[in-house]
Amino acid sequence: MIEVSGSLKRRLAVWLLVTVSGLGALLMVEAWWSAHRAAQRAYDSQLEAAALTIAEAVQWQQGEPVVEIPAAALQILATRHQERVFYAVLDADGEAVSTNMPFAISPSWRERAAHAPRALTTEFDGTSWRLYGREYDSAGWVSQEPVQIWVGHTREGRLALADELFERTVSRFVAMVLLAGVLMAMALRVALGPMRRLRRQLRAREADDMRPLDARVPEEMRELAQTLDHLFARQRQSREALLRFTADASHQLKTPLAGLQSVSELALKSPEPADWHAALGAVHEGAARTSRLAGQLLSLGRLRHVEEAGEVAPLDLAALLRETLLDWAGREAARYHDLGLDELPAGPSYVRAEAWALRELLGNLIDNALRYTPPGSTITLGLTGDAETLTLYVEDDGPGVPAEARERLLQPFERGGRQDTDGSGLGLAIVDSIARRFDGRLSLAERSPHGLAVRLHLPRCAEEETP
Amino acid sequence: MIRRCRSPLAGLLIALLGLAAPAGAATPLVVEAALDREVVTPLLDAFRAAHPDIALEFRDRSTLEVDERVVDDGPAPDVVISSAMPWQMARVNEGHARRLDSAEARQWPEWAKWRDEVFGFTFEPIVMAYRLDLSRRMLPPQTHADLHTLLTTEREALAGKVTTYSPLGSGVGYTLFQQDARYTPRFWDLVAGMGRVDAHLENNTRAMLKGISDGRYWLGYNLLGSYAMVWAQEHPEVIVQVPQDYALVLMRMAFVHRDAPHPAAAEAFVDFLLSHAGQRVLAGETPLFSVRPDVIGPYTAARLRDQVGERLYPIPLNASLLAFVDPQRRDAFLARWRREFRRDD
Repeated sequence: MIEVSGSLKRRLAVWLLVTVSGLGALLMVEAWWSAHRAAQRAYDSQLEAAALTIAEAVQWQQGEPVVEIPAAALQILATRHQERVFYAVLDADGEAVSTNMPFAISPSWRERAAHAPRALTTEFDGTSWRLYGREYDSAGWVSQEPVQIWVGHTREGRLALADELFERTVSRFVAMVLLAGVLMAMALRVALGPMRRLRRQLRAREADDMRPLDARVPEEMRELAQTLDHLFARQRQSREALLRFTADASHQLKTPLAGLQSVSELALKSPEPADWHAALGAVHEGAARTSRLAGQLLSLGRLRHVEEAGEVAPLDLAALLRETLLDWAGREAARYHDLGLDELPAGPSYVRAEAWALRELLGNLIDNALRYTPPGSTITLGLTGDAETLTLYVEDDGPGVPAEARERLLQPFERGGRQDTDGSGLGLAIVDSIARRFDGRLSLAERSPHGLAVRLHLPRCAEEETP
Repeated sequence: MIRRCRSPLAGLLIALLGLAAPAGAATPLVVEAALDREVVTPLLDAFRAAHPDIALEFRDRSTLEVDERVVDDGPAPDVVISSAMPWQMARVNEGHARRLDSAEARQWPEWAKWRDEVFGFTFEPIVMAYRLDLSRRMLPPQTHADLHTLLTTEREALAGKVTTYSPLGSGVGYTLFQQDARYTPRFWDLVAGMGRVDAHLENNTRAMLKGISDGRYWLGYNLLGSYAMVWAQEHPEVIVQVPQDYALVLMRMAFVHRDAPHPAAAEAFVDFLLSHAGQRVLAGETPLFSVRPDVIGPYTAARLRDQVGERLYPIPLNASLLAFVDPQRRDAFLARWRREFRRDD
């Protein structure tokens, strides 16, 4: 089920937008402040220059400071924005020596300007002013007293300059964002290129092409490519296993069928009814064997390829074991063997499994034991368990199986190197499939002095869960 | 943007009102001016013709009276016109002017306006004038240096026969002397020279011209060229001389009062002063000289430049004018003037 939720491009774009607008807002606030600061500094230095020019013109006559306001100072104050300009020259007592200010300089301002040059913004008559005050030492023959020079002008030039600076910053920023957006879109296209290539490659693939991918991918896509490769490899394996199984099964079926054919051919050529009878007997036996083989193939195929078992009810393993043993003990095949049951553990022994499958499993194990052990061998079934698992075992004291052959026994059509029986070699493969079906595990072990122990470990479950 | 739209809209509104309303309901407009009515009449007539809906009241006063009218308690005038440039500038600097936002105002030359609030709309050269009698006795002066030489060499002949502005009694005169003093310290020698011949100090150009015509004076210094040239046309005994070294140029400054009771009419008036139509009247029918370079007539700044060359020095219309009205600076200047005038050597 593929669910498309959003697009990578859109997600990136949204993030970019959020980041850019967040940063942009901060940047704009900062730009606004710094534009105003810059304008303030630039124009304050004009005020400073004007104050200095006026200070230069202060002279003492008969113990009184006299100033001939220099026209240049007023020109400096006015700036090219033609601000309205004001000046005041104050003596040590704060009395105006010369002024054109429509308002008085407050004592607190004078106090502060006495210590250090002071610039301030104030409001008068509905207009915003920038004032600058500074104290200068001056001396005459009669008296030596400092004078304070205050100069001021309207703020139109400052605001215009600040606006201009701010506008320039904003336009630069907007241009940058647009450019970055275009570049980002292009980069995104380039970055998503490998994804597109991979998609094209996958789309162009033949249905049965399971070769590993041959693509150059960036680091971020390595995992995806590897997973795909892994998937392909598994599919390839399972396909190969299926083909091998089919080939093996056909081969297995072909042999008895060929036997039937040759027996019936010989019988047809013979004029003797006695030969016919013998041939018919052989055909019957062969057909029965073939039919059993086909049945086993069918159940293996069903076990391997049928869907999951789903929810199954708990099953009493001890009861099943007892029942199956009784069934087998009465059969013809078990006549020459000592078939026995170890003492079963007390208490419940439930597993989650289907009865038919476990019966098939047990039957296969018992059948195998009967088939591959010499007559008179002892075959013992039993059940042990701990808190988590139940272990069902089938032991014999036959010749056993060499360790190297044991693992292969679980493969279909494998007879542990024995050609002396008419078994199909599917029994243990079926057992293994059933064990897997119920999350169980099959283990083969040697018995001393000789013999084979097959153990099935199944997870235990509680009886109460029975619906 | 809105501000720009306002004045054409207002103009339209006035025009509509003018059409709709009876003649008696015309918008009044009070212009306080230091500008001779007889000189400026053609301009006023042209304005009245162009704006029949505005009842123009033109009050001709001295510069000091005009300056007082800007700030006194009575109803504010709509438009203020004066040739006392520093005082006009000071009033504008104090915030008594209203910004004029019109196409004419924006196009007005930068050197002849300040803050788009006050506009120098005339271009009046400052001249010397002498009586024909003088040229029979001596070589008439052509430059400031000539004048100084004459005052020294012809001291006896010129005693009591020279006139100039009183710096104390006339704002214009004070401004001119201040500007003269800015150019050269030798100006003080000239003042001393005038002191030596006991120059008569008059408060306006008209009085000086009358004196010259009457024969009381032979020589006048720092007269308004606009008045002198008209006078000379009717009084052949008076010769006008534009100084050949440098000639100051005075500009009448006009602004709309901040508290103008009829701002729309006031703006229309100042706009007319600056407009091509108004300046053409100025150039053709008054001796006030047009500032606009695109106006043709006998009295234009361009024509004046052609006649006297590049020796015209307009008094700069900027914040430096404010220094002239600083009381201490004024006192110091007048003190020096008196000292030099009374210098005995």
